[in-house]
Amino acid sequence: MVSHWADETPDDDPEDSFVRPYTITHGRTASAREDLTLITVIVSLLPPEEQLAVRGLEPEHRFILELCRTPVALAEIAAGLNLPVAVAKILTGDLIALGAVAARAPVAVAAGQGQNVRLLQAVRDGLRRL
Amino acid sequence: MGYDDSDRHEAPDGELAPTAVKFLIAGGFGVGKTTMVGAVSEVEPLRTEEYLTVASKGVDDIAGVDGKHTTTVAMDFGRITVSPELVVYLFGTPGQERFWFMWDDLVSGALGAVVVADTRRLETSFGSIDFFESRRIPFVVAVNCFDGRQDRTVPEVRTALDLDPRVPILMGDLRQRPVSRDVLLALVDHLMARPEPTPVP
Repeated sequence: MVSHWADETPDDDPEDSFVRPYTITHGRTASAREDLTLITVIVSLLPPEEQLAVRGLEPEHRFILELCRTPVALAEIAAGLNLPVAVAKILTGDLIALGAVAARAPVAVAAGQGQNVRLLQAVRDGLRRL
Repeated sequence: MGYDDSDRHEAPDGELAPTAVKFLIAGGFGVGKTTMVGAVSEVEPLRTEEYLTVASKGVDDIAGVDGKHTTTVAMDFGRITVSPELVVYLFGTPGQERFWFMWDDLVSGALGAVVVADTRRLETSFGSIDFFESRRIPFVVAVNCFDGRQDRTVPEVRTALDLDPRVPILMGDLRQRPVSRDVLLALVDHLMARPEPTPVP
């Protein structure tokens, strides 16, 4: 699909893409940041006009910057890009290194440490409103 | 640890983002995992995929080549925004259990799990139940009863699944938002009812 590089809609079928996922990462298959998880929340730190001024970005990077104007989890970035999570982590890691986005780590939940009572109460209150 | 006091000092920028927690929605193929995610999610379930490196088995093996190959697993997930500070993600686990059992990023850090079961083929839930028990991830069982059809009782299901009496079992049509919501509420109550961990001095 020739329009891939210019197309900003996330609805493309990945089967339609002729670009192999790791081509977008210039062959990198592992993220420099191992702390990124599926639910690490990413938020853009740059206003839109400054986003445009950042040089050397792939279209996928710009898509992420656009998506993160409101905070989104890394899994949502991967879904929006139609790319595997591993690739989304590499691209998001690039933007963190540039200072263009910030990452919020999820709550640490170790085995036997499930007693985040205030957290669980907040979750319960939220669910009750559904 | 409270949910709102971590990383404040190390990563002030991260304060711009809400913190996130996740629940896993597991169970055999076609039992209604994505149905449940969709019933409570504020967005249409999203789909994403990941590459996993797994040991090769069976006819694909080629002598002399190391016994690993990469496979792609897909999962559906949804989101519930509780507040500007807190978002809940629900991840439906992929159907092929032997793959997602190895997907650490999917499993680690989950607050708890729902095992969706179908009474006509309860055996498809065994793998998920064993997995959560061995990883000590708290879970509840939700028996999906389409159109309210209940052909088994809760005690029958508990016996058939050999479940600890403390594990809640709920029955209902998971397509209904209130039913799926109540399953999640039961999971949260189950998490809160667990004994306090030994305090760290």
